[in-house]
Amino acid sequence: MLHLRSVTKRYGSLVALDDVSLDIARGEFFGLLGPNGAGKSTLMSLVAGLRAPDSGTLTLDGAPLTAANAASRTSLGLVPQHIALYPELTAPENLRIFGALYGLRGGDLRARIDAALEAVQLADRRRDAVKTFSGGMQRRLNLVAALLHRPKLLLCDEPTVGVDPQSRLAIFEYLEALNRDGLTIIYSTHYMEEATRLCSRIGIIDHGRLHALGTLDELLAQLPFEEEIRFPATPATAALAADLPVHGELATADAIHRFRPRPDFKLSAFFGAAESHALPGRLFTSQRPTLEALFLHLTGRTLRE
Amino acid sequence: MRSILVLLRKDFTNFLRNKAAVSLTFLIPFVMIWLFGIIFGVNKKDSGPNGIPLAVVNASDNPAAQKLVDALKTEKSFRVITEFVSPDKSRRPLTEADLRPLMQAPDAPFRFALVIPPDLVRTKDFGLHLKIFSNPRNEIETQTVNGILQKTIFTNVPQLLGESLQASAKDYLGSPAFKQFNGTIAGAVADAFGGDKEKIQQRIEAGDFGLGRVIGPAKPADPSLRRLDNNPTPAPAGSAQSTSASAAPAPAASNAAADTLARIVRLETVQVVGANVKSPAATSIVGGWAIQFLLFALSASATSLFRERDAGLFQRLLASPVTRAQILWSKFLYGVCLGIIQLMVLFFAGRVLFGIEIERHVGLLLIVCTFAASACTSFGMLLAAIAPNAEAAQGLATFLIMMMSSLGGAWFPITLMPVFIQQFSKLTLVYWSMEGFSSVLWAGQSFLQILPILGILAGITAVVMSIAIWRFNRGRIFE
Repeated sequence: MLHLRSVTKRYGSLVALDDVSLDIARGEFFGLLGPNGAGKSTLMSLVAGLRAPDSGTLTLDGAPLTAANAASRTSLGLVPQHIALYPELTAPENLRIFGALYGLRGGDLRARIDAALEAVQLADRRRDAVKTFSGGMQRRLNLVAALLHRPKLLLCDEPTVGVDPQSRLAIFEYLEALNRDGLTIIYSTHYMEEATRLCSRIGIIDHGRLHALGTLDELLAQLPFEEEIRFPATPATAALAADLPVHGELATADAIHRFRPRPDFKLSAFFGAAESHALPGRLFTSQRPTLEALFLHLTGRTLRE
Repeated sequence: MRSILVLLRKDFTNFLRNKAAVSLTFLIPFVMIWLFGIIFGVNKKDSGPNGIPLAVVNASDNPAAQKLVDALKTEKSFRVITEFVSPDKSRRPLTEADLRPLMQAPDAPFRFALVIPPDLVRTKDFGLHLKIFSNPRNEIETQTVNGILQKTIFTNVPQLLGESLQASAKDYLGSPAFKQFNGTIAGAVADAFGGDKEKIQQRIEAGDFGLGRVIGPAKPADPSLRRLDNNPTPAPAGSAQSTSASAAPAPAASNAAADTLARIVRLETVQVVGANVKSPAATSIVGGWAIQFLLFALSASATSLFRERDAGLFQRLLASPVTRAQILWSKFLYGVCLGIIQLMVLFFAGRVLFGIEIERHVGLLLIVCTFAASACTSFGMLLAAIAPNAEAAQGLATFLIMMMSSLGGAWFPITLMPVFIQQFSKLTLVYWSMEGFSSVLWAGQSFLQILPILGILAGITAVVMSIAIWRFNRGRIFE
């Protein structure tokens, strides 16, 4: 459905996207995972036709996606990172504007607005100005404003920033239902939990480069370990930490050691070593591999950096 | 106390980081003070108006009349026009018949004229007869011109009054008795003060009573006195012609003499344009204020572009089948519509509050409002295009609007400014908008007559919008 070929975008000397190639199939829920400044929003803006790439091509169903090709944009819906609504207007007034820009009129538009407000549980606030809504309510309206014209591809650029857990859950469930109904979604986030829960396929992006691409299992399989053991970085654990690098990968961040043992290194041997240094078992926690760990493995930094 | 100091430091740091706030606080007032200093000639010995076009028709063969014309030519406040230039560039002296059509034309070369009639020196009674033709569309300007004009008359040709006295005495006494009367006076003067009786009689018969020494030669007037002159005002509403026997006092040194003289000078005032306007003062000022407030309103509206950008609304709009050009043109049309409504509402308020007659001119007024609103909107769009953010745009708008309003004549007549500043006035949309309003409401001109003004406003709109769109395309407001 969507194809990016060797797409590069620069802002002056900064390379925001570096030779990115990507294929998104119809019906996919694709996650774009990376920290702030990784290039997620730039990629979204190129797909949405807001910017033009310096090199490379983008096509949607075979048609080039360019700023000049306004017709191709009728197939897209963009949920911007900001709450892009007119705060003085009511929710139906906002939706009427955005729907009309896609050529919707009359009874059809009214019916879609009613359905959209019902879907995000805002029907009872339809007479209130958007500025009186809570952050979560505004986020939900921000989402459905991109869906009135029933796009084939929905671009969600970090749509849950600053949202309370209840609204976040409502947004997740709504997006999952849309995807089940066949809507293709590209979802950018720096929350690995969101990518893990929602996305059928995930691309890990950092410094404008796409480092890894695949399903969750495919990505985690790239890690050279199956388990991660964490323990505090203190003087008491320094001797143990000094022994570990020969048995696996040891990273330290935020006063926490993260040890990923090589497959041939048994956990019983690890705990034996800990016991020999008189370290109690309660200091240690064991975790299954995560996207966070994969990101650290691939880029050498955490998602929050 | 420490907390207060920390908070104080925070406020100063924030202030200094905000370039727009610093500019508004220091730079803009400084520039405005400097500009007004230039406009009003602060610290210049010979300040005051300069080069106001004044037509002078001399129909008198009295040598003193030519002396009066020469004196007016040396008065720096006036640029004296004495010739009519026909379309084939041939020249001839102006006549009284030329004045009305020239002053009523859309591009009138002058709005004030002095006619020195053949009967300058009255013979039936004592005094002078002069005519002032005016298009008094601005009261301050009119008063200033009349004041300077009368001061020049009284201080430069006082012997005319002596001539008038002699002429009326001759007319009353008859020639033989008149000769005898003058001879008796000359003899008495010669006996009392010495001198040649024949020469004294010749001077008396020439009207030389020494008034020139009482009043003294023409001096540069104190500008403050010029402005405060108590002059004949324009003809009352509904009356195109009036006669005034009161006139402006001359400079302080000769006030008493000038007051006496003023009472014996018959000034016939002919209002050429706007004689039927019911509320002349309000009609002349409401346009300037309306356009100034429109500029403020439209600048605020244009800076909404920044708010929409910051809220990510342009991302959403541009992700739909909407182009940048469509967003800009919608903003432009919004500004024009808002401007037309605001201007018409203000003129309607002028109708209700001050009796400005808009009913007879609604159609043309609407057209001028449309062109003026377009020019003002393009100005707002340019501000949004060149400023980096909303705060900077607001600061720049305040500065430019005050500049344009003062230079364009919204606050005071541009004829009171130095000539070189007046050249800049014609570069402002405020000036041309006010010209449009004045042409319709004051002069009652037709569509064809205001067409050049509409063309200039349209030209300003086209040029400024082109620059704005070019800047928008190069800038980052849509990113």
